[in-house]
Amino acid sequence: MRIGFLINPIAGMGGRVGLKGTDGLADEAARLGAVPVAPGRAVEALRHLRDSLDDPAAIEWLTCAGTMGADVLRAAGFDAVRVVHATAAIPSRDDTVAAVEAFVAAGAGLVLFCGGDGTARDVASVVGEATPMLGIPAGVKMFSGVFGVTPAGTAEVVRDWLAGTLPLATVDVLDLDEERYRAGELAMRLSCRARTPFEPTRTQTAKALVVESSDAEVKAAIADYLGEEIAARPDTLFLLGPGSTVQAVAEALGLDKTLLGVDALLAGRLIGRDLDESAILALLARNPDARLIVSPIGAQGFVLGRGNLQISPEAIRRIGTGNIVVVATPAKLKRTAALRFDTGDAALDAELAGRGYLPVIVGYRRHRLTPVAG
Amino acid sequence: MTDIPTLYELSVPGRPGTSLPDCDVPPAPLPDDLVRADNGLPELSEPEVVRHYLHLSQRNYGVDGGFYPLGSCTMKYNPKINERLARLPGFAGLHPLQDEASAQGALELMHRLQEALKRIGGFAGMTLQPAAGAQGELTALLMIRAWHANRGEPGRDVILIPDSAHGTNPASATMAGFVAVEVPSDGRGNVDIEAVSAACDDRLAGIMLTNPTTLGLFEERIDEVAALVHAAGGLVYGDGANMNALTGIARPGDLGVDLMHFNLHKTFATPHGGGGPGSGPVGASAALAPYLPGPVVEMDGDGRYRLETPARSIGRMCAFHGNFGMLVRAYASIAGHGDSGLKANAMAAVLNANYLRVKLRDRYPVPFDRTCMHEFVCEGRPDGTRARALDVSKRLMDYGFHPPTNYFPLIVPEALMIEPTETETLATLDAFVAAMLAIADEARDRPDLLHDAPHTTPVRRLDEVRAARELRVAEPGDPE
Repeated sequence: MRIGFLINPIAGMGGRVGLKGTDGLADEAARLGAVPVAPGRAVEALRHLRDSLDDPAAIEWLTCAGTMGADVLRAAGFDAVRVVHATAAIPSRDDTVAAVEAFVAAGAGLVLFCGGDGTARDVASVVGEATPMLGIPAGVKMFSGVFGVTPAGTAEVVRDWLAGTLPLATVDVLDLDEERYRAGELAMRLSCRARTPFEPTRTQTAKALVVESSDAEVKAAIADYLGEEIAARPDTLFLLGPGSTVQAVAEALGLDKTLLGVDALLAGRLIGRDLDESAILALLARNPDARLIVSPIGAQGFVLGRGNLQISPEAIRRIGTGNIVVVATPAKLKRTAALRFDTGDAALDAELAGRGYLPVIVGYRRHRLTPVAG
Repeated sequence: MTDIPTLYELSVPGRPGTSLPDCDVPPAPLPDDLVRADNGLPELSEPEVVRHYLHLSQRNYGVDGGFYPLGSCTMKYNPKINERLARLPGFAGLHPLQDEASAQGALELMHRLQEALKRIGGFAGMTLQPAAGAQGELTALLMIRAWHANRGEPGRDVILIPDSAHGTNPASATMAGFVAVEVPSDGRGNVDIEAVSAACDDRLAGIMLTNPTTLGLFEERIDEVAALVHAAGGLVYGDGANMNALTGIARPGDLGVDLMHFNLHKTFATPHGGGGPGSGPVGASAALAPYLPGPVVEMDGDGRYRLETPARSIGRMCAFHGNFGMLVRAYASIAGHGDSGLKANAMAAVLNANYLRVKLRDRYPVPFDRTCMHEFVCEGRPDGTRARALDVSKRLMDYGFHPPTNYFPLIVPEALMIEPTETETLATLDAFVAAMLAIADEARDRPDLLHDAPHTTPVRRLDEVRAARELRVAEPGDPE
């Protein structure tokens, strides 16, 4: 079996520095101190794949030279690597497109890529619904339906697909306008459709954009409840995560919260807006008693690790996993089978998954116990 | 069918409805501020008034008129002898402030009812005060609060509630100052015991369990759930709405339930619906009995009855002694049936529900298809057609049946919740099955018939969405 593999080495770099995507901003992300995250996640997935296969040598890898593919495959212990695309000195989306064209020409049966929605869009623009594609999640946002839920989960999907036990599903590749997203607007459009090996517990479904206006009353009730909790804890630092649910709650509390950033609240006042990882850690150093208010991405269920990478594993450990307050409207939660954590720190993910269920605030003094996917 | 005119529309100025005797005392004027030229009352003859109300009553549909399989509500027949007993002058004419010594008969009846409900539910104490099932829930939750506070654990503020529960459960919990935490159901319709386990910590105050559940299923691992909750320091509250299926067979107190309310109308055939007075007595284990609302009726050694407030009582839940007329009817029902009769009622209720479930399940999918208790839930989409539960419900009216409860519980799509009760004959059940199967055929062959139903009722299908959005409340004399 021939599998085309490529990695977008800069994917996900914008996340921890609060850039909400790395499209066109890799230099700025690097300047802000971001380090590459995609290579590590790709190696994690590929090692897991190699360890779970009876005959790893049966895969013939088609890939790109250097950091866009071959280096990572070799680091993961795969030797049967055929370089079909010479990567440019500074990789760009043109490299992605050219590489996937070369994979298809060389007879790839699957394109495995590592990146986020932007990479998915570029891969899909070549393969369409002809050659199946699957993504190792490493971007800031992954709203498309072509990603595994974690690097290891992606590897298991590949393994089962190679064994012939998984069907192909047609899924949505969603494209978020990063310029508008940074300006605080969640503008998403269907980029195209693609085919992907589908295993419901290990492949994430495309984000269902929740119609928020009809839930205004529910959000007001959640806000009433959280308002009481916040008022009762004047010395606690509250970090408010991104998304329209948390923003609506903040608005009901009279706070001008950013839609997509992480803001900080202390003693009823916003003391920080659109914080990056280092600013969050600095606040936590001064205010160790902290709680994080976040809302899962509708349908996918990701609480951490999608769209909020500035809340890093270190920040989560300092806050304490017991101090993560998850909020969601009942309508959104109904479409979300399980909560998921993909913080980039497997031990932390396992600790959160080990709790089995988390109470999600769905109304005034109302919670719903929701399973956490392991 | 034409509208029935209102009495105001029928009114003819000067038409007498009464015939008063000649005045044989000197006339005395009313105070000026009580006199007005137009008293606004319609003027009609007596037969016109009688016919008006008779016609209205003939358009009503009640359990005295036909089969009423309204799941969860338990619309069972109310024996007329219970009504006669409640109207006995000694009961009906009693004043609630009367001295205990002059109300010994009423107190004895209350005491006997307390004792009977304790024995049926397996409890050590009983209050008859709550004026409805939901107030019974609130009563029990306030007792749970007081119990934890008295033990020095006022921080226990979480009440677990399965997602199949009656909507009153989370409302009562919130009203009592708790945080309501919803627990998912598992694949068999039981509460997910892993989720309960995950929520067992030092904030847990208790769990509210309806058994049988609103899916009409016995909560199979109730003993394990109770053990988990107790081990974590919490209490188990039983929503006794569905005791109709268990009476004489199983006792919640023996299954680990610390507190439970009865719905006298559901289990003991007091009248239901129409906004009339309800009654939701609450039973308590020996540990919780001191927290019951006061007063309860106690019997002295010499056989005298008196009112007594328990040692750690949460106080009163209503003025006086609850809806006393309902207590008389319920006691009449219990005494009339006796132990064997109550058990036979529960068995007949369960048998009737299973009969309907098996007869209908091939056409109306039953998502949790196992032996049910007194009711079952199927999907109102016969044979995978596009018909909806609402269409089936409306079409049933054309066949002369009251529709089942629809769209509840929320965890079943297009839910139809069917509860025949123990008071129906096999012939009635078969007629209902025939109607449901005919409707399934219609859903396939003539879907428009369902969509436009009902066709034979005084009022056709109402636009419920518009009614809710464009609310118009009119009073007599308001312009159109």
